[in-house]
Amino acid sequence: MHGLSTSAIPGARFVDPAVLARIGNLELVARSVVDGFINGLHRAPYFGASVDFAEHRGYVAGDDIRRIDWRLFARTDRFYVKEYEADSNSNFSVLLDVSKSMGYGSGEMTKLDYAKILAACLTYLVHRQRDRVGLVAFDEGIVEHVPPSAKHMNVVLHMLDRLTAMRPGSLRAPLHRLAEHFGRRGILVLISDLYDEPEAVIEAVAPLRFRGNDLIVFHVLDRAELDFGFGDASSFEDLETGDQLPVVPEAFRKQYNELMRAHIDALTRRFSEVRVDYTLIDTGAPLDHALFKYLSTRERLMRVR
Amino acid sequence: MSFLAPFFLLGLAGLAVPVVIHLIQRERKQVVLFPSLMFIRRVPYQSVRRRRIHNWTLLFIRLAALALLVAAFARPFLSRPDAAAVVGSGAREVVILVDQSYSMAYGDHWDRARAAAREAVNGLGSSDRASIVFFSSGADVAVRSTSERARLQAAIATAEPSAGATRYAPALKVAGSILSESTLPRREAILITDFQASGWRGAEGARLPEGAKLTPVAIGAREETQNLSTSPVSLTRTTFEKQERVAVTAGVMNRGTRPARGVELTLNIGDRALESQRVDVEPNGSASVTFAPFTISSRNMRGTIHLAPDALERDNAFHFVLSPSAPVRVLVVERSGATGGASLYLTQALAIGTSPRFETQVKRADGISDDDLRQAAVVLLNDVTVTESLASRLGRFVERGGGLFVALGPYATWAGSSSDVLPGVLGAPVDRSRGDAARMAALEYGHPIFEPFRTPRSGNFSAARFYGYRVLTPAPSAQAQVLARFDAGAPAVIERKLGNGRVIVWASTLDLSWSDLPLKPVFLPFIHRVARHLAAYTEVPPWMTVGQVLDPSAGLTPSAAIAERIALTPSRHRLALNGEGPEVLELAEQGFYEIRRQASDADATVVASNVDLSESDLTTIDPEEVVAAAVGRAGEASGQAAPGVPLTPEAQERSQRIWWYLLSAAIVVLGADTLLSNRLSKT
Repeated sequence: MHGLSTSAIPGARFVDPAVLARIGNLELVARSVVDGFINGLHRAPYFGASVDFAEHRGYVAGDDIRRIDWRLFARTDRFYVKEYEADSNSNFSVLLDVSKSMGYGSGEMTKLDYAKILAACLTYLVHRQRDRVGLVAFDEGIVEHVPPSAKHMNVVLHMLDRLTAMRPGSLRAPLHRLAEHFGRRGILVLISDLYDEPEAVIEAVAPLRFRGNDLIVFHVLDRAELDFGFGDASSFEDLETGDQLPVVPEAFRKQYNELMRAHIDALTRRFSEVRVDYTLIDTGAPLDHALFKYLSTRERLMRVR
Repeated sequence: MSFLAPFFLLGLAGLAVPVVIHLIQRERKQVVLFPSLMFIRRVPYQSVRRRRIHNWTLLFIRLAALALLVAAFARPFLSRPDAAAVVGSGAREVVILVDQSYSMAYGDHWDRARAAAREAVNGLGSSDRASIVFFSSGADVAVRSTSERARLQAAIATAEPSAGATRYAPALKVAGSILSESTLPRREAILITDFQASGWRGAEGARLPEGAKLTPVAIGAREETQNLSTSPVSLTRTTFEKQERVAVTAGVMNRGTRPARGVELTLNIGDRALESQRVDVEPNGSASVTFAPFTISSRNMRGTIHLAPDALERDNAFHFVLSPSAPVRVLVVERSGATGGASLYLTQALAIGTSPRFETQVKRADGISDDDLRQAAVVLLNDVTVTESLASRLGRFVERGGGLFVALGPYATWAGSSSDVLPGVLGAPVDRSRGDAARMAALEYGHPIFEPFRTPRSGNFSAARFYGYRVLTPAPSAQAQVLARFDAGAPAVIERKLGNGRVIVWASTLDLSWSDLPLKPVFLPFIHRVARHLAAYTEVPPWMTVGQVLDPSAGLTPSAAIAERIALTPSRHRLALNGEGPEVLELAEQGFYEIRRQASDADATVVASNVDLSESDLTTIDPEEVVAAAVGRAGEASGQAAPGVPLTPEAQERSQRIWWYLLSAAIVVLGADTLLSNRLSKT
């Protein structure tokens, strides 16, 4: 296992998800991925660093006088208050879609397996920063809920391990309920295959941001969903509704790909409009690759700010 | 259409082969599970659909080709009805059945029926022959199998609705017999009627000959009808200060679908309207009114209930005849030294009863005068020691037509040769007071005395116990009939005829000394039946129904010669009832028939005749039902060609040539299939 976490050799840094799927123990998987990832990156982009100084601000009546920077007062004869970048311990919750469509996988790994590992990795990563971790699994309603806590890492991993795709899903109802629930500012990671109209997705997701939460959306899709590489004419059955349609893939592929691309483009555009981080993840790609792609985006955004 | 080689039709099973292959191929297609059909649904569907439709067309074409091939090999041929018509064209034998029942008098139904009959006559060809049959409860052939149209038209023009009720079966039987006697090739019956449901009681064996056709012509069927009819009256007699009064309760029935308000019922006696009352009648409902009682003053009072006229007038009158009721005089004779209660049960039983009323007189055996015997219709000897003179007087009484009932107790004797009058010889008493009491068994239920007790739970004679009875030995010379026996086999009731009268001997007592029969429920009806039977009492019905038969000689003594009697019908026709006229009189008209002597009307009898009220129910049945029952198949025109006319070989060949067309069609379809599949495989 140690070999997996080494990252000295370029190219071996990213572990094939299929290999990870065989490990089984989510904590081990997460550690393998994250450690390797961190080691390989050399420079840890620990986000939400706890005591980072941000700026000085002029004192206004009502500010706590303990926060006045007395040294600055000595130099400038004015009251300034020191402000910090973030709370050292923020809430981090994974919102994991466990609807039946997530149970699809053209290879060894279903989208749900992939999403579980992704969630585990993120949880592990965040936990190492002493942030509080939580988990919400939902399909058409809320399936599991682990409230954010510094001690809940194991609970979250255990819960992730047990999740299966059982029922048809929807985004709007459970997410709207959840939005009322997240009282404290934090980071929310939504992992889903987002099978809905872009506008409906935005409408479902938008309330999550209302309390000032940071929302990151991972759009998990299988390779087969992206390129529609089916051969024979057959009946396609909807995993969620059970409807069947006769399909001749050769005739469909071009139009399907166009529609899928338009869908992803619309999501990308709309999410950026509402300032939500959106990342499309192909379950065929290595997991830490996805993480890297994401975190580097985050880092870039932070620098911009 | 039939087939020369129907076994080839088994090849149609081959049609299943392409279908099964198609189904199997469909089965083999695996189902691919996909997360969401969201995008697939948006792809225009026709690109797939078109291919499938092409496949279906191909499938149908191939199925059609196969079916045509199979049909061609099965060699179909037509048994052409038009060919039969050509062969059987020409002369027709037509029977026109016209419903003459009184319901045809409803509204304009009779005119329409006559118009339909005239039309049928006008439709006859020059060589056709036709008969006209008018039917109601029976069928009457007015004109038989003629080609003279004038006679047919005249018969139609002169006919009028009768007073009878509809019955289809006799008419169809007559039509069947006329058609089966005919030699003409085409045979047809035309049934012109209002198709009343009440006239149809199944085909009753009426069947037209094979190949005959029945054309129903429904007059006014399925139109809304409105008809009020009377219903039979009920007469309640009461006796008041020796005057007999009767209260008439009359009913009215609404056979229509609308309620009738203020229907007036009038009671007429003779020619005088006595009383009117008004009632409301709901649709398909009935109502009744009771008129005030009136005195029956004379014989043969003619009563009629009238309703206001409506579309069908025949059923708006109900006739009945009232006469003072004649009581049956019964003379009960007791032993000279009998106690007062000896005939108690007997007299009490006879005191009850209104139809007929019994007038009972109790006398001692030694106090009977000739006058008593002359007045009495029945003499009941209750355990009487009969002297020789009494025996001979009773013998004469019976021979004159009187009835004699002899109840045997311990004292009963019969002086002289008992078998002169009695049906048996009196024997010694049998004591059954120890051990099991005797019971009555082996009753002759066919006899009028015991006939009412025939059905189960209508009287049980075996419940009565007999502690003693007299041994009776039936006299062979007297032609005695044993009507009942005790369980040991000894006769209990014996009857014989003597002259115009009857004698019945009862082997036990009619009080409680030897049996408990007087305490049983059967006692009273038994005594009543005995008295009625011995008095030869016949009930005169207050009314009869059209179609019933009247025996003019009934109730007359032979001395009253029937030869000089006449019957006067309601339409004032005279019918002589002598040997030249009919022996029985069938009531054909509605109203009062009068039967009397040629010269005087001294002992005239009046009979009220009413129409059958079931006819006033105008609900109809489906004409097809009658046709199906009479012809054997529903609504089919005349069937096959007349038998024994062979087709020419050319005609035979022509009728079988269909296989050739079928085969050509199959080839064309197969060609189309080839073209289509070629094109499909190219695309």
